[in-house]
Amino acid sequence: MTGSLRLSTACIAGALAGRLSIGLGRGRGETLSGRVILALDPKAISKLGAGRDIILVSGTNGKTTSTKNLTSILRDFAGEGVSTSESGANMPAGIAALLAQKPRNRFAVIECDEMYLPKIYRLLSPKVVVLLNLSRDQLHRTGEVRKVSRLWHETFTKDDVTIVIDRDDPFLEYSVANAGHVIRTTFGGRRHPDAATCPSCAAILDWSTGDYLCPCGLGSKLPDVRADKRLNGPQRNTVLVIEAARLMGAEILADEAEDLINRSPDRIYDFSSAGQTISTHLAKNPESWRQALGEVTSDQVILSVNARGIDGRDTSWLWDIDYSKLLGKKVVCTGERRLDIAYRLSVQGIDVSVASSFAEAAETLANEPIQAIVSYTAFQDLLAADLGINKGNSK
Amino acid sequence: MSLTIVRLYHDLLGTYGDQGNAEILIHRAKARNLDVELVEVTPGMAVPRSGDIYLLGGGEDGPQSAALEMLISDGGLNYAAAGGATVLAICAGFQIIGASLPDSHGQITSGLGLVDAHTIYDSSPRSVGELVIQPSRGELPVLTGFENHQGLTRLGQDMPPLGIVRSGVGNGFDRQEGIWHGNVFGSYMHGPVLARNPELADAVLRSAVGPMPEFKDPFAEVFAIERRNTLT
Ligand SMILES: [Zn+2]
Repeated sequence: MTGSLRLSTACIAGALAGRLSIGLGRGRGETLSGRVILALDPKAISKLGAGRDIILVSGTNGKTTSTKNLTSILRDFAGEGVSTSESGANMPAGIAALLAQKPRNRFAVIECDEMYLPKIYRLLSPKVVVLLNLSRDQLHRTGEVRKVSRLWHETFTKDDVTIVIDRDDPFLEYSVANAGHVIRTTFGGRRHPDAATCPSCAAILDWSTGDYLCPCGLGSKLPDVRADKRLNGPQRNTVLVIEAARLMGAEILADEAEDLINRSPDRIYDFSSAGQTISTHLAKNPESWRQALGEVTSDQVILSVNARGIDGRDTSWLWDIDYSKLLGKKVVCTGERRLDIAYRLSVQGIDVSVASSFAEAAETLANEPIQAIVSYTAFQDLLAADLGINKGNSK
Repeated sequence: MSLTIVRLYHDLLGTYGDQGNAEILIHRAKARNLDVELVEVTPGMAVPRSGDIYLLGGGEDGPQSAALEMLISDGGLNYAAAGGATVLAICAGFQIIGASLPDSHGQITSGLGLVDAHTIYDSSPRSVGELVIQPSRGELPVLTGFENHQGLTRLGQDMPPLGIVRSGVGNGFDRQEGIWHGNVFGSYMHGPVLARNPELADAVLRSAVGPMPEFKDPFAEVFAIERRNTLT
């Protein structure tokens, strides 16, 4: 078979497999279809990406929402076809499938798993890479933050791509230390809880000013964009997304940018259970839990913790979060590892009980506002349980 | 009676949540009407020499080396341990208190030498997963934790392990896990280990303050039992 015939056969077979597997559930069709494509043509990703304007989005928190956000901004401002994964698939198979779907779209905005970023970067030669943030996540799988940062550092050594980063994150600054073109955004500096020492030279970083500057030089490069210190995590991600869209030719005026930042999509969804609407934050690691806890305003809270692969199989990190925001509130813990979180809260003096399911947790609470923070697979379970989910952002 | 707990460089050695061990000790000590003081030692600060319990947690290679260098040049932890203070050291911390370990470039370097234990890095894959051990002393029940480490640690001949591995890797030699020598406790178990094993928390406390009254903490017990039942 010729190269292009092999590719088109692979794509047709992949699409068929994807359609047949739709009954398998969310995202699975995409992954299966991609697996078929890659099995029939192992070079499919680079072939499907050739000649297109590709943007990769990676980082610990906010990849999926930022990818969606960037896609919709490009659709509005660039007026050309934009391919993206609808399901948040971010590994090679899912990426092959999304590229195969509308191969004539000029743009593709691709969420990429941190560990696969080097491989996908080499296969696709993107125009822009957006690196949102790096913090502890799934330690059993990705190893330590420093290792991801070193992997990226060894990847971005050329000037064939522009990389957009939040330079306040020393792991990102180290990741792009050898890269040719970097757009550095600062939010005025903030202490990174995992960066007591320099990712480059391992010296103790001085954070007394709320920012870092290592004697080895890490942190000394001037920022290109200065943004508001008061922005939260999702808003910071939007600032980076806007810079990436501008690099792709989107003309976004200052007031339009401000509007986009104010409307930053968050990982908050409304679920209905026991006649209650529960505003639910998806959180999967210490940093996203801290952000979600910062948003808790109601007096009744459900926390749901699992420890399957993507949640991180080790729950120890639950002890690295300060839950004092929950003092005085009524908290019900559920999920497979409800006892891990319940015991941790009880040691901090928080009024806590446990329930065997999310629905049961909701039933034990009064008919007043409830907020929930749930881990990744617990969230997927909620979707599967069909609790009258009203999926959408509450903002 | 008062108790001083010293948490060492939690910014450097807090990657795996082991800082929670301090909160659990404080919680269980207060339940026995002990006056507890927590001293948080940060880089640049002198290590107090008169603490009762010193805690070290797991961290990444670079921060581990930085912590070791500071502890060697400070000398406070060695001084306190020689005087009989209790030490609980987890993962990278356990490697630090031994006689030798690899530095962040893989070269073998001297540890604090509080116990006769030697850590090496070999080519075997990282040990990651649930760890279950059978302790041999202190009337401790089966202990559970989560291990996530590259190094393997060989104990000297006279060094008793904390327990024998039932499942998981542990130290990687002779199915041993951790160490319990005098008042020095070392382990590869995160969880934090004292959250998942309240009986071990009390053994650590008793080594510092002597006999204590019983303390029933329902959440702690039901959590420990759930983990043991799930994993054995
Ligand atoms: Zn440095």
